[in-house]
Amino acid sequence: MEAFRTLIETLSLLILPLLIVGFPLYGLLRRVPVYEVFVEGAREGFDVAVRIIPYLVAILFAIGMFRASGAMDFLIELLRPVLHPLRIPPEVLPMAILRPLTGSGSAAVVLDLIRQYGEDSLFVKIAAVMFGSTETTFYVLVVYFGAVNITKTRHAVPAGLIADVAAMLMAIYLVQWLFAG
Amino acid sequence: MLNYIWAGLIIFSLVFAIASDVRDLVRDTYRNGDPLPVTLTFPEGYRPEARHQPVVVRIDPATFQAFYRVATVPDSTYAGELVQFRTGRELRFARDVDVPEPLATIRRVTSPRENDLRGTLHTLTLISDSLATAAVLFAPVRFVRLQAITDAAFEFARTAVTLALGLIGLLALWLGLLRIAEAAGLVQHLARWTQPLLRPLFPDVPRDHPAFALITLNLTANMLGLGNAATPLGIKAMEELQKLNPRPNTATNAMVMLLAMNTASVQLVPPVLLMAIMGAAINELILPIILVTLTSLVVAILAARLLGRLPAYRRTDPLQPDPPNSDHPETDA
Repeated sequence: MEAFRTLIETLSLLILPLLIVGFPLYGLLRRVPVYEVFVEGAREGFDVAVRIIPYLVAILFAIGMFRASGAMDFLIELLRPVLHPLRIPPEVLPMAILRPLTGSGSAAVVLDLIRQYGEDSLFVKIAAVMFGSTETTFYVLVVYFGAVNITKTRHAVPAGLIADVAAMLMAIYLVQWLFAG
Repeated sequence: MLNYIWAGLIIFSLVFAIASDVRDLVRDTYRNGDPLPVTLTFPEGYRPEARHQPVVVRIDPATFQAFYRVATVPDSTYAGELVQFRTGRELRFARDVDVPEPLATIRRVTSPRENDLRGTLHTLTLISDSLATAAVLFAPVRFVRLQAITDAAFEFARTAVTLALGLIGLLALWLGLLRIAEAAGLVQHLARWTQPLLRPLFPDVPRDHPAFALITLNLTANMLGLGNAATPLGIKAMEELQKLNPRPNTATNAMVMLLAMNTASVQLVPPVLLMAIMGAAINELILPIILVTLTSLVVAILAARLLGRLPAYRRTDPLQPDPPNSDHPETDA
């Protein structure tokens, strides 16, 4: 495990400098006017960022309102009766709900669980695995689709959410199985 | 679906905010209009003519719990200040002190800038020249949640722009580098090498298309936990896929597949933020994280593929031959 981790970490350390230097170097060898071509491509960066803004504003303000409204607490109360038979601890539910919506919000949940139950608790482990193994689905959605002005997302949201639910359930059961003695 | 989720978030926010505010009014959570009994000690003795003087505020725990009908307990004493005007007296708690709910909310709403809990003082009765009983009346607090959701909407709208503008530099760097790679023929090479692996997932993308190279780079960056590179590479991959899309406002199956794979996040390295939070405790979680993320990747791929076969999504597929009566795709629902 340790060796694997070192390998991956070395690889992720090496690959960026390799790409950043390698592309222009290879271009130079192929007689590409690298500076001119770079600037031409980089110009697009601004347009793409500006193109994303309306999509990001739309999704983030809605998510912000939802968090501020306290609807989360209500949802947890509502879901509590179905959680017990499924062996899902209600403590990790905020994580499962917030993770696809906000990255900073779900990091705050992990911190909160550490403060309440200590770093070694099962809840913290479950929440950390949930956090580490999934993405902020809605952020990825609006950034990637916003960049190309896609508004009709078809089955992207359901597919992303189905994968999120699978990851959350897997995290809950796997961590309980591995660590609950 | 996104339309409903988006509208749902906003409407639910309003409904829950109103419900919780009405509940507060009915329960009288903040005891608007009722003064809270307190005991005041004057460390320098009470001076009737002084405009400002220090006080120590004592709130009896039992009185507090009965008054606000809560289980929380206030600290034994609070530092504060007594301000006397010609028209009356005001009690100000020291800034940023740790007060229990509902006093914390009252402070946040009534004194957001100074962050000192303050209220008008009624019935100051001196027991000795340094001890007095009194009752403090805080400004009425109503519709806390409604105010909170409005503030959140404004704050997050600003955050969105900060986030997007923060991407400019990274996007410019990567889009510039990729343009060089394209001009040098590197992208086309990479596409040829990796398409045997990716073609089954993206059957609609033609052979040797540069999109394969960008998808490979995007997924590799994701796997190695290089979020800074993954986003620009993914955006560029989307742009390539968009070139194959006859209906530019509608996602193709290939785009949905790429997005699903990205939201599932194939990470062999845990996110930096999580490592920072967990410290060394992360080590025993790396294996479960990889197992879970692989599961979610498989589920994402299956979901993207199978959902795409449903009639509802087949009808909206931009690459499907147009049904007879849809000459104006913009007017589709």
